[in-house]
Amino acid sequence: MNQSPIISFANVSKEYVLYKNDQERFKALFVGNKKFKKHQALKDISINIFPGESVGIIGDNGAGKSTLLKMITGVTFPTTGSVSVIGNVAALLELTAGFSSEMTGRENIYLKGYILGHNDDYMKQLEPDIIEFAELGDYIDQPVRTYSSGMRARLGFAINVNLKPDILVIDEALSVGDATFRKKCHKKINSIIATGVTVLFVSHSAESVRDICKRCIFLKKGKVVFDGETDAALRVYLESKGQVKKMGPNAVPIGKPLNKK
Amino acid sequence: MFQIFKEHKGFSKQIFLLSKSELKKTYKGAAIGPLWALVKPAFTIFVYWFAFSVGIRGSSEVAVDGVGDFGRFIFMVVGFTAWFFMSESITLGSKSIRQNSQYVTKVAFPVSTIMTFTQLARLYVHLFLAAIMYIIVVFNPQGGVSWYNLQFFFYCPLMFAFFTVLAWSTAPMAAFSRDFENAVTAFMSGVFWISGIFYNSYDMPLPLLNKIMLFNPINFFANGYRNTFLYNKGFWENETELYIFLGEFILIIILGIWNYNRLRKRIPDVL
Repeated sequence: MNQSPIISFANVSKEYVLYKNDQERFKALFVGNKKFKKHQALKDISINIFPGESVGIIGDNGAGKSTLLKMITGVTFPTTGSVSVIGNVAALLELTAGFSSEMTGRENIYLKGYILGHNDDYMKQLEPDIIEFAELGDYIDQPVRTYSSGMRARLGFAINVNLKPDILVIDEALSVGDATFRKKCHKKINSIIATGVTVLFVSHSAESVRDICKRCIFLKKGKVVFDGETDAALRVYLESKGQVKKMGPNAVPIGKPLNKK
Repeated sequence: MFQIFKEHKGFSKQIFLLSKSELKKTYKGAAIGPLWALVKPAFTIFVYWFAFSVGIRGSSEVAVDGVGDFGRFIFMVVGFTAWFFMSESITLGSKSIRQNSQYVTKVAFPVSTIMTFTQLARLYVHLFLAAIMYIIVVFNPQGGVSWYNLQFFFYCPLMFAFFTVLAWSTAPMAAFSRDFENAVTAFMSGVFWISGIFYNSYDMPLPLLNKIMLFNPINFFANGYRNTFLYNKGFWENETELYIFLGEFILIIILGIWNYNRLRKRIPDVL
């Protein structure tokens, strides 16, 4: 591959500082973070992801998956090393982040667009698609505070997937609305993947990962244990959990697939 | 180094929209909505006027050196108009990042613009109050219309800028540690009494105190508003005051850039 990577991690490490109490935190304001206890969430990670790839990220809780995703979405920053991401990232993680509950659904479409750095014209173009996808009917012109949590999530999802991202980050633990809408979401995600965007997929379910991703990164305690073919990665993953058997239809012991077609 | 300026570049439209939404949030779900912005200051002024002109009798006039005597009420109305904006800017400005933490921990967002759009929302309220104050001034026998009134367009933007820049330091620090946030609130509850809002801060019994008062930027603006609307004096006339203020402004800009840059990347991990 002589294409340049769309996401690139170079020797990235991330430490979270663990303050014992609020006094320590106050002190840290003035003396810096050197003296305090730290938790290393990522250790010397180097990854390159190329345009059009679908990459699964697997690992147990606390392996560093969320930290990795947060760096890609630009929310948190590495302690050492560097992260470079080229293009728009749509993260199906915090769907309702940035909503203002006093403003209407329609206003919030624009607000969310602004927050993500898009302009009026671009949002106007996408507005009909978003409204249609969210299926909110007349509620689109009501303040978001009157929405149920399902409606909020639907609106959030509709905005995020319609922003035509270059990179799509999906956390499978995501659940939006009822079964019919969930099915619609999965269809939409698959159609986005088909357009050739770069996809990062986080899951506990071996099966969904195998469905979507050709390549898979296995994280354990902040380190990349395996990076390569999905089948091989899953084998290593299950081995490390002491659950290795033959890979077969019933070799999906952890978690449950969210939605099988 | 100039991260803050970079973050603002090309984001002005978003800042404007977010400030509108911030304003809506402040007065949501109230029957008289934005009128609350007027009720609180009006009541506060009434209470202070009652205490000092009716309660403690004999102090219903404020003497200003070289200008004349002013009724306590008109003197206070002008000073308070600036004060309400300043006190809210300091306390709420320091809380702005924590109150908008979703923009820090959930999406990639130019964090320094939070301080700008929350401050902008307060500016709208201030302009509304200033318009009402101006009506009172115009119809007051000690007020009236004057060219000096145009100095509002010098003092007001400067006040906006000064307290926005101050929040570059206080907001990240308050987001980092609640102790700092509490310290600001505690400090502000006393600052009113050492600032010349309802008394003339440059009429102290000791010459040394008069000098010290020059170092309080709140005095610079409260006095500046009175220069503009009551004293008919130019902002350049008290040179010492102006230079001390400008010196402080530069210091606060430097501190703001330094504090923001060193804390920006640490904030998402602690919020």
